[in-house]
Amino acid sequence: MSTLTDIATIARWEVKKSFSMMSRDVLPISIILFVLLVLVTGFSSQTGLHLQDGMYEVGVADPQIAQLLAGDARFSVYLLDAPLLNANRNSFDLIIVQGTVYSSATEKATAAQKTLERDYSKYVNSIYNTENDLFAAYPLWIDTQSVKSELTFLATQSGQYVSAAPRRIAPVPEGEVKNVPTPSPTLAISQEELRQKLVQSNAKNSQISRYTEVLSTTDSSMGDFKTPSQLSPPLPFDSIILVFIFIFPLYFTSQFFMMSIMNERIERKGEILLSTPLRTSSIIIGKALPYFFGMVVICAGLTLYIRASPVIIFPLVPVIFFFLANALLIGMLSRSFKELSFISIFFSTVATSYLFFPSIFANVHVISLISPLTLIVLTIQGSAWTITDYLYSTSLFWLTGAVLFYIGTRNFKDERLFSEKRLVSRVREFLSEILSQKYPFISLFLLSIFSIPFIFMVQLMCLVLFFNLPMPYSLVFLLLFSALIEEVAKSVGIYTVYIRDPQFLTWKNLLLACAATAIGFLVGEKLLLFATLAQISDSVFGSILFLSLGSLWLPLLLHFGCVLIVACCLKVWGKKGFIPGIAIAMVVHCLYNLYFILGWIG
Amino acid sequence: MRSKHLSIIAKKEFRGLMNERTILLAVLLQLFIAMFSSFLMVGLTSMYDPSSLSKYSRSRYSIGYAGNESQLLTNLQTSPDFRVYQMDLSTAVAALKERKLAAVIYVPDTRPDAPEPVKITLYSLQNDLQTAIVEVKLRDIFLKYEQDLREIRADRLKQEIVPIQVPATSGGGDFYEFVYGLLIPLLVFMPAIIASALVIDLITEEYQQETLETLISTPITFGEIVWGKVIACEVLVPIQAGLWLVLLMINGIAILNSGLILLQVTVTSLILILLGTLTALHYRERTAAQFIFSTALVVVILFALALPSNPLNLLTRLAVGTAAGEQWLVLGITVGIVIVLGYITHWYAEKIGKTHQTG
Repeated sequence: MSTLTDIATIARWEVKKSFSMMSRDVLPISIILFVLLVLVTGFSSQTGLHLQDGMYEVGVADPQIAQLLAGDARFSVYLLDAPLLNANRNSFDLIIVQGTVYSSATEKATAAQKTLERDYSKYVNSIYNTENDLFAAYPLWIDTQSVKSELTFLATQSGQYVSAAPRRIAPVPEGEVKNVPTPSPTLAISQEELRQKLVQSNAKNSQISRYTEVLSTTDSSMGDFKTPSQLSPPLPFDSIILVFIFIFPLYFTSQFFMMSIMNERIERKGEILLSTPLRTSSIIIGKALPYFFGMVVICAGLTLYIRASPVIIFPLVPVIFFFLANALLIGMLSRSFKELSFISIFFSTVATSYLFFPSIFANVHVISLISPLTLIVLTIQGSAWTITDYLYSTSLFWLTGAVLFYIGTRNFKDERLFSEKRLVSRVREFLSEILSQKYPFISLFLLSIFSIPFIFMVQLMCLVLFFNLPMPYSLVFLLLFSALIEEVAKSVGIYTVYIRDPQFLTWKNLLLACAATAIGFLVGEKLLLFATLAQISDSVFGSILFLSLGSLWLPLLLHFGCVLIVACCLKVWGKKGFIPGIAIAMVVHCLYNLYFILGWIG
Repeated sequence: MRSKHLSIIAKKEFRGLMNERTILLAVLLQLFIAMFSSFLMVGLTSMYDPSSLSKYSRSRYSIGYAGNESQLLTNLQTSPDFRVYQMDLSTAVAALKERKLAAVIYVPDTRPDAPEPVKITLYSLQNDLQTAIVEVKLRDIFLKYEQDLREIRADRLKQEIVPIQVPATSGGGDFYEFVYGLLIPLLVFMPAIIASALVIDLITEEYQQETLETLISTPITFGEIVWGKVIACEVLVPIQAGLWLVLLMINGIAILNSGLILLQVTVTSLILILLGTLTALHYRERTAAQFIFSTALVVVILFALALPSNPLNLLTRLAVGTAAGEQWLVLGITVGIVIVLGYITHWYAEKIGKTHQTG
């Protein structure tokens, strides 16, 4: 009971303090800025964003075509006589003479030509939309029906094609054939309604509206009927908008929390707080609570504003929790404002891309569910998701958030808060704090279990980034980096123990420590795999990242061997041996992966 | 204002930055953003543009075709991307569910020249990446069929269309607009944003760590302290932006007028840095200053982007070589704004400096 009152008191203090800080006309100015922001947004949506204006230079002989092109600011259009154009052909990217486009051989000209093609087809569509006989202009309509596959999606993940290789005779289904009703040959919608929708979707491509229209959730565009040119899946701008709308306020609010922690450390102001009989956990929870509620209220407000279902809040809560946990640690770790800024910007960029990237595939692929944002996208679209989906996409956030909060709480004391050491050694000290002196092996075991969710997050991020590269390279880089990340994570505990007390690492203790780490790692890996990621883990990429679920002793041997290499290097060469040790362990890990998973050697 | 004092302050800030290696983090951050945005672009474009994707998937997809025969069937059969099986609709959908087919098409019995449209039904798998690819490839076939039908019904079309013949492209050019119209201005301008956030940290830190009194007790004046910090941040901008240009050029992206680009960025960044300085001087506290400044930054950048021939647009045009005389006009206006802001900053810093000396 008394803990609760403590927390409430701290929370009240925190609110009072942040309001007194706000006294210096922050509120009036931010209101003014907000009004300005609304005005500027309105202004820019009218004029469009002029970033790519005048990229291409086009010479045109026909004034009608010149007028047509003038609508696109990317073109600088020059209206000249045909002979003059032909003579100066090379000073333009494109010239259009007698209705025919001639482009120069540069990459820029090719890009210009593609832009022209798109503009032209838009123009043609705008003419077709006004045809009296709409079905002569748009004679073909496609009704898209999605079918749920009865197989898991593993087939496509493991690099196989959707269907078996084409054969001469038609494939015969093995299962029961259910009767599919013959689709009606007519559209269930009138010509005029269709025309309206066509006009809408043609106008939609303008620069700003495609970003803003997402918020009006009534966007059921064409029903299920599409013309062939509308067939491609919609661009995922809705998730970009969601990031801006939901994640940025969260980022800002967590900045306030970060600063509040940092402020306690400046000039040792927090000493008073620490000298009270309050428990550190109460202090931290009390300090974080107002920001937590603030963020939830902001999200609720935004949800109301865009008139979405309140269910959206649920996937956002773990994200808030995760942001706050990181803010706590960043506020405790950085020595100066510069460091705070850069670390927090770096963190938020990485976190935002982690949240954003998978949600692009919201309607395309199950992997999108690793981001809670996908659940939001689904909710806004009106699709349902299950509790399992929720656990799947948020468990990593809950877990990592909890671990970070724990580390923060254990280190929230004088000697850590007011130390002036370098970032890396501070991180090591923080870890050292949670590794018990009395039970070193159990702590190492637990540390490696709890490092698993972080490794997953970082590795998933790598998967996203290396996806960029052409196929063999993406795999090679993924192989190297995932090995590196794992080896670093595994040896960090032993390194910390070694730096704290080099004497501790006798050969016997060294073996025990390695065993504890390796077993912890294996247990953590398997636990998380079973719990959440079983779906991705069986693909080619997955097997590099997380090793297969099959036999247990081989991965255990690998983990043990790799940690042992690093530990021995530390023991023999001291601190210098850490990096070479990691390098050797990484090579071993890669060879193992190549041999057992991809079967490239032998 | 003595240049010696200015350089002392600037050097002090540089040392701090080097010591903490935060600048490394900043560069890493920019690299990350560059990689991520090009990932998005390449990933998305290949999803939506079959021609850029075709080099990845040379395989043929099995398509089930049900209903009446049509020109569409011929189009599908002659396409190198598909193998078509004429099947019964129910059997085909069942096979699709077992992933033995990539998609199923049903075509009704509508004559090509009928008054009503031809409505075909496309069955595809839900939640599947490959389905997206198949749909993109099918789209081309459908477009061709739509064109065929349109020609048959051409006499019913009344409006006139300005004809333009676009020759077939040789491929490529997909990422040109993204690289020159977004990536380059973004990357080159990012150092300016980072520098303006940095100047706020540098100034508020002196206030909050209470190191200002010590500095003022030296012969260095408050105005010199402020300008020294501005210089330290400003110097970082062309260095980082130049680094980006070099990196991009190493990657085979030709950038014209790189000297002029650096000039534009350097001058424009001063606007942001001075705005940051003013905010920091006013609030003297990081949270409030950063919050107000970042909101103001969004307003300023959005406003600038809404203006034609804005400095960011100019970066694009300089890089592709289409910037004409107006670049000097824009530069002139930018310099004008910088001078006004610089004057205000100077006046404000002197005013604060006086209160510090008396108080």
